[in-house]
Amino acid sequence: MTPKNNIVIGIIIALVFVASYNVDANPIEFVEGLPNLAIVVEEMFSVEPKYIPTALWAMFETIQMAFIGTVVGTAIALPLSMLAARNLNSKYVYAPVRALLAAIRTFPSILWAILFVIMVGLGTFAGVLAIVMYTVGFVAKLQYEAIETIDSDPMDAVSSIGVSKWQLVRYVVIPESASHLLSQILYMFDYNVRQTSILGLVGAGGIGFYIINYIKFFEYGKAAVFMLVVLVTVLFIDWVSVKIRDKYIIKSQHGMEVTTK
Amino acid sequence: MKLIQMTKTSSFSLISTNKIIQINNVWTSYDSKNFALEGINLSIDRGTNYAIVGQSGSGKSTLLKLMNGMMIPSQGTIKIDYVTPNMNNKKFKHMMHTIGYIPQSLGLVKNITVIENIMIGALPRLNKIESMFKRFPEHEINEAKRIISLVGLTGKEERKAYMLSGGEKRRVAIARALMQKPTILLADEIVSELDHVTAREIMNLIAEAQKRMNLTAIMVHHDMQLALEYANRVAVIKEGQKILEIGVEGDKIVDFQTGDLNTEEIMEMYDDSKK
Repeated sequence: MTPKNNIVIGIIIALVFVASYNVDANPIEFVEGLPNLAIVVEEMFSVEPKYIPTALWAMFETIQMAFIGTVVGTAIALPLSMLAARNLNSKYVYAPVRALLAAIRTFPSILWAILFVIMVGLGTFAGVLAIVMYTVGFVAKLQYEAIETIDSDPMDAVSSIGVSKWQLVRYVVIPESASHLLSQILYMFDYNVRQTSILGLVGAGGIGFYIINYIKFFEYGKAAVFMLVVLVTVLFIDWVSVKIRDKYIIKSQHGMEVTTK
Repeated sequence: MKLIQMTKTSSFSLISTNKIIQINNVWTSYDSKNFALEGINLSIDRGTNYAIVGQSGSGKSTLLKLMNGMMIPSQGTIKIDYVTPNMNNKKFKHMMHTIGYIPQSLGLVKNITVIENIMIGALPRLNKIESMFKRFPEHEINEAKRIISLVGLTGKEERKAYMLSGGEKRRVAIARALMQKPTILLADEIVSELDHVTAREIMNLIAEAQKRMNLTAIMVHHDMQLALEYANRVAVIKEGQKILEIGVEGDKIVDFQTGDLNTEEIMEMYDDSKK
């Protein structure tokens, strides 16, 4: 540890204290608030099992919203990612497309949801639209980055044959970036299910609508049922995507089966 | 004696009319001070099996990239069939599909099948829309199958490229180049990483295709022995300059400056050039 490092670490710690003071982040309040948490947790443990069917149905609705959003969003993102890739286009094409994508990504999905609630009214459709926008922004970015990291050897060799640009996309870019795309779709779906779960907060449908309303009326036991269903679902989706990833993605990237311990 | 004279004159007349590649005083640089090639002159006859030999870093791969239009010389001229190779030259763009190029890395698309990789060679002459759906005309599929059996890959058409061995990958790259129906074949150290037996197999394959299709093959090697075995002409490149050019006729080797030489003398000269 050099003196220079010590100074840097010292400055960072000092900044954390200054920032905490500025935003009123007081650890003492946290300690004082702990008993309140105990009350919430205690009430949450008095779960009411008769709400499980409603919760499962709401979760199913949420998953469907996330599913539509992921599929439609990816379908829109794909052509955009081709246009945004620097190794396929001139800067007059990729620069505006990248700016557009950056603008889309600026808003978190919850802000998109508010916007679409104003546009199309309360309900699940506004939520689906919000997820579509969010997915477009992120999948397109992840995908154009994947396209830019494609091995340049096949790109050079195939373009030197004199193929058209779309033939190059069809025969080199798509196959060579497909495993990345599958991985990103899985990640995005997983992430969208979690996001859709909170879109109900602004009236854009999904399971979050129930959670926020029960919490508003201090019915923590009922809210707990819904939160538990979200937790189990997310864990399940995570497990499934790991399985899919192992089976298809890693194999195609390294040309072999993966042995997991 | 008279006969030899006659064949010599006739071959000389061929040389003057039938130059497919002409490289005049070409210099290339990666930056303003370091030159990869320093005043290279080459002229290559149609139908020649030409070898360029040199150590790594001698500039021999650069020479191939120049012929392919992937690089542009900073000085001097290159003509392929009287056209300047340059990706922005419209005339050259139309003849790109007649130049088969196999880079050292082979440039295969690893996540598609053997036959799809080979079909890429035919793409410039296929219908643009149909090729998007991987729909190919019957006669092109038959052509691909013919080439697949020629390179000895029958039964492996549907394998993904990443599943193949090193030798098999080279066969696919050759097949893709042949599928272009090329007039020129450029290959960059295509056998240098292979064992002795497989290397000979691949070289025989190219030699056969070269004769059958009357190709002009230009192959880069770092193994002089291999070049002498297969090529009719060998140029030795050292530090961006051509230091030797020889003709090979069977066991006889002709140095165009000093007269006849034998293999041992050439190998000796080549070994000296490494120092």
